[in-house]
Amino acid sequence: MATLTGVLARPSGYTGVWSWITTVDHKRIGILYGFTAFAMLLIAGVEAGVMRAQLATADSDLVSPGVFNQMFTMHATAMVFNVIMPLSASFFNLIVPLAIGARDVAFPRLNALSYWLFLFGTLLLHAGFLQNQAPDAGWFSYASLTEKPYSANAGMDFWALGLLVLGTSSVAAALNFTVTIINMRAPGMSLMRMPVFIWMTLITSILLILAFPVITVGLIELTMDRNFGTHFFMPAGGGDPLLWQHLFWVFGHPEVYILILPPMGVVSEVLPTFSRKPLFGYPFVVFSGITIGIMSWAVWSHHMFTVGLGPVANSVFTITTMLIAVPTGVKIFNWIGTMWGGAIEFKTSMLFAVGFVFLFIIGGLSGVSHAVAPADNQQQDTYYIVAHIHYVLFGGSIFGIFAGIYYWGPKFTGRLLGEGLGKLNFWLIFIGMNLTFFPMHFVGMNGMPRRVYTYPAESGFQLLNSLSSLGYIVLFIGFVVFIVNYLRSSKNGAEAGHDPWDAPGIEWSISSPPPAYNFAVIPEVLGRDHYWIVKEQAREAGQGTPPGEAHVDERTIHMPSPSYWPIVIAFGVTWIAGGLLTHYALSFAGGIIAFAGVVGWGNEPAAAESDH
Amino acid sequence: MGFNPRGSARRRNELVSREGGRVPNPPRSKFIKSLAISAVLLVLTVACSQGDRSTWNAAGPVADKQLLLFNVLVWIMAITFILVEGVLIYAAIRFRARPGQERPSQVHGNLPLEIAWTVIPTILIMGLGIWSVVALWQLDKPPASADYVLEVTATGHQWWFEFEYADAGGGKTITTANELRVPVDTPVQVWLESDDVIHSLWIPRLAGKVDMIPTHTNRLWFQADSNKIETLPATFLGQCAEFCGLSHALMKFEVTVMEQDDYDAWVEAYGQPSALSPQAQQGQNVFNANCSSCHTATGADAAALVDGRVAGFLAGGNIAPAPNLTDLATRQKFAAGLLDLNEDNLRSWLEKPDDIKPGNYMSARAPFYQDGEITLSDDDISAVIEYLISLK
Repeated sequence: MATLTGVLARPSGYTGVWSWITTVDHKRIGILYGFTAFAMLLIAGVEAGVMRAQLATADSDLVSPGVFNQMFTMHATAMVFNVIMPLSASFFNLIVPLAIGARDVAFPRLNALSYWLFLFGTLLLHAGFLQNQAPDAGWFSYASLTEKPYSANAGMDFWALGLLVLGTSSVAAALNFTVTIINMRAPGMSLMRMPVFIWMTLITSILLILAFPVITVGLIELTMDRNFGTHFFMPAGGGDPLLWQHLFWVFGHPEVYILILPPMGVVSEVLPTFSRKPLFGYPFVVFSGITIGIMSWAVWSHHMFTVGLGPVANSVFTITTMLIAVPTGVKIFNWIGTMWGGAIEFKTSMLFAVGFVFLFIIGGLSGVSHAVAPADNQQQDTYYIVAHIHYVLFGGSIFGIFAGIYYWGPKFTGRLLGEGLGKLNFWLIFIGMNLTFFPMHFVGMNGMPRRVYTYPAESGFQLLNSLSSLGYIVLFIGFVVFIVNYLRSSKNGAEAGHDPWDAPGIEWSISSPPPAYNFAVIPEVLGRDHYWIVKEQAREAGQGTPPGEAHVDERTIHMPSPSYWPIVIAFGVTWIAGGLLTHYALSFAGGIIAFAGVVGWGNEPAAAESDH
Repeated sequence: MGFNPRGSARRRNELVSREGGRVPNPPRSKFIKSLAISAVLLVLTVACSQGDRSTWNAAGPVADKQLLLFNVLVWIMAITFILVEGVLIYAAIRFRARPGQERPSQVHGNLPLEIAWTVIPTILIMGLGIWSVVALWQLDKPPASADYVLEVTATGHQWWFEFEYADAGGGKTITTANELRVPVDTPVQVWLESDDVIHSLWIPRLAGKVDMIPTHTNRLWFQADSNKIETLPATFLGQCAEFCGLSHALMKFEVTVMEQDDYDAWVEAYGQPSALSPQAQQGQNVFNANCSSCHTATGADAAALVDGRVAGFLAGGNIAPAPNLTDLATRQKFAAGLLDLNEDNLRSWLEKPDDIKPGNYMSARAPFYQDGEITLSDDDISAVIEYLISLK
């Protein structure tokens, strides 16, 4: 044991590249997730730009159909798996331990493993671009188009294997956060005192644990079909292409809520803070989240109203899909109730949160219109659906994430993002988003199918499409403004102090940025809005605003030590998958590396001797 | 428009008191109001197309009912939107923090409100749900009262549509491609199949889409109503709605709706031998030597023949299922609704099909194409074109 760990001496230190590669600190891992996902957001945004440029005019031949198909496939795949999910994971990492009063997550090394698997899985997924073999069968990748006779190059293998690695990362992270939230809350924080963001993280994590095994089965079967001659989805061999659709959407619909519940949690923190009022109907917001999580398993076939499941199945899924609008509506009403009678301060974060509610209402309403199965026959696979999903996932998820960045960002950088540029950022993205996606409702009902690389001039689609493309430019500028704002404020931004928003969460009682150990003394949680209660008590006692918690000597607090093994295992696992694309010997080598990593990890004490 | 002068007077008084005597110009506010309303109407008129592929322009009972459902939904969405967003915007403006404002009263919730906004939407949405389900069952099959239903099997291929009439009328079997001819005011039951990947058959003006899935047989029905069509024959655009690979965007077809007599005449004439000029006869020989293992030009396709082409394709041979070309010259368009049928277009298509429909199996598999360009002599190409436009 000593000899093995001696090969890779225990890393130490808090600076330099190695400290990031070996870190197990949840805040650093959260930052890694955040920057990686934001880089992917830019790539996926450029892919969207290629599509909007191509579709800006009728009969355009700016890009070939092959390139266009790669663009929409990778834009959606990346936005779901490499952008919104990891941005949520970034928030889980940054916020969960701080908001429940813990020093780290339950399994810090597993947390690092999740990040490295995410990074390598993302690279594997995109590696096809290097050989002009990027996946091109859509993010839903319906069989039998994905089978060898119809997708001969390695694109679909990159897709399936990349997602398998990403799935491993997600399940590991979800288990970690579930255990962390259940076991590591500070004394006094009962479940019904948890911030709503923590509740939504918990529900999302449970959905992830249950949903990913389903897509994993599908992805393994697809890989087997393509590489080892099985016929799970191949009609000519007696397989059924519809089996893939059921597997995909049984995963896929909970996945939609995996993408939206965390931003809903963010908004449920931001709205009360800037309304200076507790969240309206806390138990109803929590239980509607749980209800959505449970019901998300009973609505998948509304993605399949046109596949001929028959009127009985379509009736059932029409009703269940409509019912899921009820708990969603309850959330919206409670958010408005939170603002009602408040003293609302429109900081940028609040603008994004209110923008989230405004846009999510639109996406929710068009969602009800798809639930009506016979009407959906006209909507399915048109731009009307494209409009809907972007109101939910851009107007919803991305706006929620921006609200979170402006709200919690200063906690980790120690500096406030600029409010002037922030407001410009908000309005550009708000206007750009509506200009891009609102016309799509109309062009879809006018008969434009989605995933077409061109449309003829006589279709009359050009005017609305040019508006959408114009909106893209506004959105692009909006994102540039955000980047400028971030860069400027990280150098010259105003000092945030420990509690810039007079917020209720316990994370605001410690310094910005927080020390490695988070809390010198684990707080005793007094109530749902703990820090508001603390500040109120201090005011009543005539003590004024309490200062942030003072730092103590790091060596006096027992913290998990950095480790090399997570990145070693992640590297090995990725090569097990990557080897299938190149040479099976590489898979074998990857297996050995991963196994060595597991042995090294298993024999490594959770903290180095010197730390005791 | 419900403009109420008394109400506006009251509002004006409020403005007077709040803004210290400045009275806004009443005609101007009226002007702005009518301007806003006409702007909304203009946007809706421009945005909701009445074109040949628009779902707003329904021409039969199925699309009509689907449009009715959608229109009702639009009203529900519009009313909910105005109410909920209105309250949201009101709250955002009304409850802005004022300078020096005390911490607002710390309300934690309101049980009767919670019950109300859970129960009322549930009831409303169940009403909508029941209506949807009733409509769903109504639209499932052609009306039982119909005394005749035309049955057609539509098969999706990468990237074209095949239509097979087991009994087009008088017991005659017809196979055709990319053009579905149907009599007006007659329910049409379409059986949907595919022998490669998933496609979806959509005729926006006649019926919402249903997918064409290998190993499954789906169905949809539609009818074109004479009272919604100005002149016959009328054509309706159909297209593939499910992403099906490289040239998905180019996979279209036409529905030609005809008077019953014209339809009967077409059925009668289908597959009758055409008079061929000497050049056309030369073309026929070239066609039989090079094209006929995939394309049939002399009547309906036999099932065994089609199965053989599918098997040959999957085995990687230089064969694939291909459009039946019988009576090609009677069609308006070819290449899956992409090109008008004429000599020039046929020549461009034959010479470089990949420029017109990227990835098509003809240029990829037929041995006389090298790198997507035809290797037959100009003479042979001209002869084949002459033959094809003689097929009527």
